[in-house]
This record gives sequence, C-alpha cells and structure tokens, in this order.
Amino acid sequence: MLTFRKSFDIADRPKMEADVIIVGGGPAGMACALRLSQLIDEHNAIHPGTPLSKENIYVLEKAREAGQHCLSGAILDPRAMRELLPGFETEAPIEATVRKEAVHFLTETRHFRLPITPPPLQDHGNYVISINRFVKWMEEKVEAAGITVFTGFAGSELLYNENKVTGVRTDDKGVDKKNEKKSNFEPGYDIHAKVVILAEGTRGSLTKELIAKLDLARDANPQTYGVGVKELWELPAGRIEPGEVILTLGYPLTSKEYGGAGIYGGQNNIVSLAFVTGLDYQDPRLDPQRVLQEFKRHPFIAKLLAGGSMIRYGAKSLPYGGWWALPALAGDGFMITGDSAGFVNSARLKGIHLAMKSGMIAAQTAFEAWLNNDSSLKTLGLYPKRVDQSWIREELWKVRNFHQGFEKGLYAGLFHTALQQVTFGRGLHARYPSHAGHENLRPLARLPVDGGPDEHLLGDAKGDGKLTFDKLTDLYHSGTKHEEDQPAHLVIHDTNLCNTRCVKEFGNPCTHFCPANVYEMVKDTGAPAGTVSPKGISLNAANCVHCKTCDIMDPYQIITWVPPEGGGGPNYDGM
Amino acid sequence: MPDTILVIVEQQQGKLNRVSWETIAAAQAIARDTGWAVEAAVVGNNIAAVAAEVSAKKLAKVYVLDALQLERYTPDAFAAALKQLIATKQPKLVLLPHTYQVRDFAPKLATQLGRCVISDCTGYRHDAGKLLFTRQMFQGKFSADVGFGSDAPWIATFQNGAFRGDKAEAGAAPTPVETFSVTLDPARNQPEDWFKEAKQAVDLTQAEIIVSVGRGIKEQKNIDLAQQLAAALGGELAASRPICDNGWLPMDRQIGSSGQTVSPKLYLALGISGAIQHIVGMKGARAVVAINKDSEAPIFEIADVAVVGNLFDIVPPLIEEIKKAKARS
Repeated sequence: MLTFRKSFDIADRPKMEADVIIVGGGPAGMACALRLSQLIDEHNAIHPGTPLSKENIYVLEKAREAGQHCLSGAILDPRAMRELLPGFETEAPIEATVRKEAVHFLTETRHFRLPITPPPLQDHGNYVISINRFVKWMEEKVEAAGITVFTGFAGSELLYNENKVTGVRTDDKGVDKKNEKKSNFEPGYDIHAKVVILAEGTRGSLTKELIAKLDLARDANPQTYGVGVKELWELPAGRIEPGEVILTLGYPLTSKEYGGAGIYGGQNNIVSLAFVTGLDYQDPRLDPQRVLQEFKRHPFIAKLLAGGSMIRYGAKSLPYGGWWALPALAGDGFMITGDSAGFVNSARLKGIHLAMKSGMIAAQTAFEAWLNNDSSLKTLGLYPKRVDQSWIREELWKVRNFHQGFEKGLYAGLFHTALQQVTFGRGLHARYPSHAGHENLRPLARLPVDGGPDEHLLGDAKGDGKLTFDKLTDLYHSGTKHEEDQPAHLVIHDTNLCNTRCVKEFGNPCTHFCPANVYEMVKDTGAPAGTVSPKGISLNAANCVHCKTCDIMDPYQIITWVPPEGGGGPNYDGM
Repeated sequence: MPDTILVIVEQQQGKLNRVSWETIAAAQAIARDTGWAVEAAVVGNNIAAVAAEVSAKKLAKVYVLDALQLERYTPDAFAAALKQLIATKQPKLVLLPHTYQVRDFAPKLATQLGRCVISDCTGYRHDAGKLLFTRQMFQGKFSADVGFGSDAPWIATFQNGAFRGDKAEAGAAPTPVETFSVTLDPARNQPEDWFKEAKQAVDLTQAEIIVSVGRGIKEQKNIDLAQQLAAALGGELAASRPICDNGWLPMDRQIGSSGQTVSPKLYLALGISGAIQHIVGMKGARAVVAINKDSEAPIFEIADVAVVGNLFDIVPPLIEEIKKAKARS
C-alpha cells in the first residue's frame, strides 16, 4: 500500500551552472552566503576591472519561506554575528538580552536551584532570539546583497563525477502518491556547481548519503543526537521576564536518560519551553513529546505556566557528539557546515554561533576555490584546517569528551564532567568513545512491562487541553502542511520488518518517538475484507515536521528521510 | 519572399480557441520588430467559418488544412498535416498557443522536422537581430532568455496570458484564405468522444447535511452504510483524513485542516475521534451529532448530541427510522 518517493530517471533534466551552491538556508547557509557576498564585494573594490558576479551563487531552501523549518531554543551567542555584521544588534530581530538565569534540579515533586550557574551554562550577555525570525532577517540580507535564495526547493540528490561532488539536483515537483507524474510534473533541476556547501541542518539527507558513500566518518565517533520538543507559550504578564533563562535537569527523566529543559523569556510575555531528550534512551516506548507534557506537570513548571496558553509547537533533532564526532569536513567539490557536520557545544547547549562561523569559514574557502578555479580537496581542505585554527576548535576541544561522559547515565556524567573541568576537557581518557544512540534501545522482553521507573514517559500523552496536550493537538500548532498527493518521503526500506520483527522486539518505537504522529500501526487495509489481519505500518507523511528523529533512532536503521516536495513542512514562526 | 511567422490557430468542433488571438498578437508584435510577414493556419474539418474569423485579422495569408482525418484531434494526423505545411512553406518561425493539445502534438511535430520547441514562453526579446524567447524557471523566480541554435523553422509556444488577445490587429481587408491540401495516412490513434471534465463531484461547503465517517467505520465495505444514511437524510458523504488516505473516499470529501472546511446545518460524525485537525474543518456546523464507541473521544466535547456506542448497532435502525419519518411526512 505504501509508495515511497524515489528519483526519476530523466534523460534531459533542465540544467543550470552555478559558481557556488549552498544547500540549506539556516544559520550556517545564510552566514556562508553573506560572507561570500562580502568577499566578492571586497574583491570587486580592489579589482574593478575584473569583477566577480554573485549571480550564479544560489541557496536552496526546502521551506516555502526562509526560517520556517528552523527550530532552536534559542539563545544566540553573538560571537559569529559580531564578526559577520558588526553592530547587527541594531537591526536584527532580537527578543531580549539574557539578564537573569537559574539552573534547577527537579525531583518528582520538588526543585532545587543550583547555588551557582555552572560556567558553561552562563548566558549573561547572550540574546534570546526566535531562530525563524532571525534567519528570515538573514535571508533578506542575503537577497539584498544579490545572492538568490530558492525557497521551496530541496536538494534531493548530489551529482557526482566519480567521487567528486559536481552539483545538486532539486526535488521533482508534481509527483502523486503512486510515484506517477501528475499533469503539473516538473523535473528537478541539475545545478552543476564548482563548489557545493552542505548546510542542511542535523542529519542532512544529502550529507548522510555523502558521508556513507565516501566513508567520511571512518575516523570519527558515531554521531549522537537529541530531539528537542518545543512549545511556545503566552503567559500572564510578569511571570517570566524578557531575557530570563531557566534551565532544568532531572525530572521527568530518570538518571538513565540524558536531557533537560530550557525556558526562555521573550518579548510580549511569549515564553519558549523546550525539552531535549537524548536519543540514546533505553525504553523503546519512550515518547519525547510525552516527556515534555510530563515536564509541564511538575509543580514548579505547572505553576509557571498556569493561566497561560500554548500557541506553537515544533520539534527538531540536534547533534550532540561534539569534536570527536565530526566527519571529514571537505572533499573534492564539497564542504559540510553547521549541524550537518555536528558543530554543537553540548555542554553549553549552543550551536547557532558555531554553525554561522563554520559557514563563514567555508565561504572563505569556497571563494578561494572559485578564484583559483580549483575545487579539489587540495583547496577545499583548507576549510577543516581553518576550523582547526579558529575559535570553533578552541570551544569544542574543551568539551570534546562531555557528552560521552553521560553514556552511563546522569551521575556518571556529572562525575566525568567534574573531572573534565579540572583536566581541560580530557577527563579519564584522551578520547572518550561513543555509541550510536539507537543501539541503546532494549528489546521489550528485557524491560519491565509497565516501564518501571520510566512508566510516566511511555506511551501517548493524553492531554488536558490546558497544560498538557495530546500529540495531534500539539502538531496542529506546528502549522505543518504538505502537498497531500505525493509519495511518502519517509522511506522504509523493509516494511515487512516493521510488521513482523520490530512489532515483537521493540513494539514499533517509531510510533512513539516521532513527535508528529507520522508512524502508526493500523489494521492492514490491504487485507481482504472480513479477514482478521495483523496490524501494519502506516504513514501520515503529511504530518512530518522534518525533525529527522526517525532516521536517527530507528533500531534497525531502515528509515531514510528524504525531502518531500519543496515548500512542504512545518510553518514555525516565533519559535 | 520575406521571412514568415506561421501561427497555428486552435479550434475545436468549429469553435476558435480564444487563446489563438494571443498568439496572433504575439506574432504581429514580433513582425513589427523583424519585418517578417505573419500567416496563420487552421487545422480541422469543415472549418471555413473559423478561417473566415481569423482572416479578419491583419495577416498575409490564412491556410486551411481541411481533411476528414482532422475532424477530431489526433496527434498523428495533426503533426503529419502541419509537417507538410511547414515543409512546403518554410516559415522562419512557427508559433502556437501553449494549450493541452499543443503540448501533446508539438514535440512530435518538432521531432519530425528535426527541430526543438521552446515551450511555454512568457515573452520574447529582439536583440541585435537575434530573437530570444523568455521562459520561467524555478517557479517564476528566474526568467531565462532562450534562443534557437538550429536553422529555421523555429517552433515556440506562448503561455496563456503572455500577450493580450484584444491586441491582435484587425486587417483593412480580409486576408486571402488558401486551402492547403494534405495527404494523410490512416491514423494510428482512434479518438474517443470529447472528454467532458467531470463536474465538480461534490461541493461540501454548500451541503446542509453532512454524514462524515472516520476510522471507526473499520472497513471500506462499511462506507456503504454511511452512504445509505446520507441518502436517507438527503445529505452528502464526507470523511476524516485516514479514510481518504486509504482511498476509500476521494480526497475532495475530506474534512479538516488539510481538506475542506464546512458549516452545514447538521454534521453527523460516525466513528470520528475528533482530533483538532478534523475539528477545525467542521466546527462551524450548526448541530453536531457524534457516534463513537470511546466516551473519551474529543469529538464529544463539541457535539450537541453525543451517542456512545457501536455505530454498526446504531446506524441501521437510524436509517430505518429516518425512512419511516420521511414516508409519514
């Protein structure tokens, strides 16, 4: 019954030539485009006789409008922005400057404020932003500079000449549920580019394919991830000040799971509430959206939210692995930036500034490749070297072993963190190993039937409609919309495995970890009428919020997230 | 002989497709820039009236390609007929409106002539003696100027609305009409009857009574039961998303955030749980009657009449009672 999106074999696709193509218009991609534009302006000022054109530099963005698919807390460390656009604060959309911060440890019914905010979590002077609005503003800058952003176009495939990346193919539009061309079919463009910069965000679909094809992660730790589930709330005036930050550890997670919450005060009594759950939990019935609901039921949080209303919802995964999990960042024809590479400081819960900085360094390198007409690894290899000499490395090196320390749970993690603090990030080992989070999932047979201490995290959230919400109600507030008549873009390589093996071993964790209710086990509608048939996997692909959790956490690694028809997806605003 | 532009006019059953005026206007505009002459061709059977209508415009000549095999459109016959005309008359440029029919036969015609088509153009540019055609890319974000690299005849099609039909200039005197006889092989295609677009099957927004089914209906064959209820009430049948996703009912009967928004006088929800995505599509209903097994179903929060029970027990007698009541009145 399920038909999955696949690429069409079309002999004469429309073709375009590009000097540089940036896949993904988030903080990394936009910073990259802006930096590139600045370098061209500088060049043209010095060499008025031989000016370079920005006309053939493109940014591809799958969202209908720039910023719509971005999701973050968000706290911005302004370091990269100050280098990119000094004085940006006067015109950029900033909600507030962080003025007040606290870290709390929650038990089931109580909360303890940490006497001091640990240095990595200090945010004084950073900005509370809406990443959607901030990126939208960056896009306006990019377009004003003369670089074209193609919104509504996804990078669906990479073009290769053997192992050299030579371009990007955009998504085919007008394909129906059965993978047949509709009357409005439009084949994707083959955009041949001298340099391809991947800035797709966490678990980018092209990046994933490229890393596998060229074995770019062979020297890296497996990347580890978390999924942030977020609600935006409008609270009674004065409850949380603009620029107030509250971080929590502990409940509802037990000491076995990694994660925590961030509450950030914005303007007009709008408060961001996000719970990040590490995608390395053990119980396949755990539901990150449920975790957020349980978190809100804690007396400390419920009191904060009382009388307010939830106005937006969203979810997105983030990479935790840090320095040791970075893949090879460049090769012939390509560079990998931002969350696609894994530039996140998991101790500081921050990555936007690193994404921007990586994009800026990639821009510098792409510019030189363009000038020297050499986009081989010889030139593009300068990008990882420069990352190594930049403050990205300085920052990530200090916390290189941070997240790995938590693989054995919260208490071991705190021990390792303390040790690493006094050994300049080293801890017990020069390089802590890590394991892919999905390997932690335990078969149901090895878990207590009722979930034991995790009972409150398992299964669907019911929702009372005021403080807590069921998943579909939350999802409604994400504004997600897709063309309905298109093949499923969650490609399950073996649905038989879902229906026979996974259902017994793990109880179909996809139906729990997906924060958008994409995956469901339903009575097999293909079975002859009247027969009692077992349940089969079914997809509500149009619900997908593009968080990539399924691609990451599926225990058999048989789900591949590919971009749906461009323009579809969540409609995050103010998130 | 000056270079010519040949416009292929489109007609169906003796009726001119008005978009052809746009193509003639385009040809006349190009002619003003290039000094070329504009001719037109009408293809069909018994098309003298169309030819006369076209000849009122300012043209150098109107060709009539009249044959029995051309009465009803087939790509084979149209391409073959036009190939003969173009091969004989050697126009510099052939212009067509970008209609469904043209999209069907123009590639075949061009291939037979060993040429390519610049299709769906939104305009043209005449630059330093070079004729360029404008096409949209990236859903209109970019425009590209495209020129022919081959020798004439060149073939291009213009998008509907690219030129204004009322700008097609009328001639001082009727244009001479010339019959061009074509020899056609028996067609390989057999045309069916004219396709009439199915009338919009259902406009749920106008329905006063809607019977809507959800997952509780369980199997496709049970849809019939809801259909019977809708018929008894004189209402329309609708559904929540899973039903349309399964293909049990067409998508135009889907109610909710990704379907239609309705506000009937009566909305009967059978086995619909009432997720917010569905509620937003029907909360404007004057009265909501919900039947659901699950007493906790959110649909009951907005239902005026809540029936907790198995719809298969409730609906059949309900149909009978409605029929009886209707028979009495």
